Amino acid sequence: MPVSQAARRSFDFLERCLSHVAEHWPQLSLSAGGHVGRLRNRLSQRWPSPEQVHTLFPSLSRHEAATVAWKIGGIEARNRILARYLEKDGDRMLPGLMPRPAPVLSRLHPPLILGFFHVGAPHALGAVFEWLPVPVLALRLGLRSPAVPTLTVLTIEGSTQQRALVFSRAMAHLRACGVVASALDFVSGPSLTVPFLGRSLELARGPFAMARLAGVPLVPLAARWYGGTVEVEVGDELVADGFSSPEICERKLATAATGWLENYLRSDPGEMGLGLLHRLVLSSDK
Amino acid sequence: MKAKITPADGVREILRKRVPRAKDLDDLPDELQLGEGGLGLDSIALVELLLECERLFRLPPPLALLDGPPLTVGLLAEHVRASACR
Repeated sequence: MPVSQAARRSFDFLERCLSHVAEHWPQLSLSAGGHVGRLRNRLSQRWPSPEQVHTLFPSLSRHEAATVAWKIGGIEARNRILARYLEKDGDRMLPGLMPRPAPVLSRLHPPLILGFFHVGAPHALGAVFEWLPVPVLALRLGLRSPAVPTLTVLTIEGSTQQRALVFSRAMAHLRACGVVASALDFVSGPSLTVPFLGRSLELARGPFAMARLAGVPLVPLAARWYGGTVEVEVGDELVADGFSSPEICERKLATAATGWLENYLRSDPGEMGLGLLHRLVLSSDK
Repeated sequence: MKAKITPADGVREILRKRVPRAKDLDDLPDELQLGEGGLGLDSIALVELLLECERLFRLPPPLALLDGPPLTVGLLAEHVRASACR
């Protein structure tokens, strides 16, 4: 067996062990997972490679790009451990990931839409939602039973009509002064493309159209790992009014949301999600 | 004397106004689907259409309508008619 294959299997095995450890010591397991992932990236120089990081952030030196790649490798390992654990045991672990409410959450005034990107710790967002003062309706691909009592999950899978039903339920939730949470960078239906990091990024139109139709603000946010716990960054409220057409309104909201993310990632490129990074690198190869 | 507009006529008028594909059709039969395989409305356009019907005809939120069989011109017209009778 080639050395690289043996090393990959060893790291996979180590991550599986850590996801079992997470049942009893979640913070220890996730924190250790971060170190394992960093080491894995440092040895393999892949997923992502320093060159890929440098392609997106050309102002970084080669050493800085490598450091960012290690960090992304560490974050991805934590995310894999958490996702594997959540698949097995629902969201039982989530409440412990954010022991205290983040002060930035007091800036949120429902009804509103929380628009997140696949950066940092997206699987841990349930821990953030637990601290919101109103029920949260999360739209995601596939259903998962949440352990957080104030969180309801609806899937965006299915036919056009099924997605329209989910959209209407989310609108009703906003009318009742709730919070709707949705990924902005995962497209399962209508989409729009906006500039991002010198390239273009396809976003889901749904959350922007929902903000326009419901007349509520959209707030971009991102969760990030801090050791074995989770922190959250929240942007300003983006408001959908005063635009000449629905298309312009949605595009302005989308551009503002990605502008927030771009600033966030330029200040800390290591928070970039591996999937998003690959999408952007591939789009620049075309 | 002004002719009375039925719910079915009202629904067809909205469709012709909002949906590009409906403008080109001479007839909008009852069985014509609003989404895939028919007028081709995507999920957001479908919701916007129902919101306009909700506003114009003072309908309750049409969740039950979306939670059933594929929505057609006839089903939407019937929903408007039935809601108006309540």
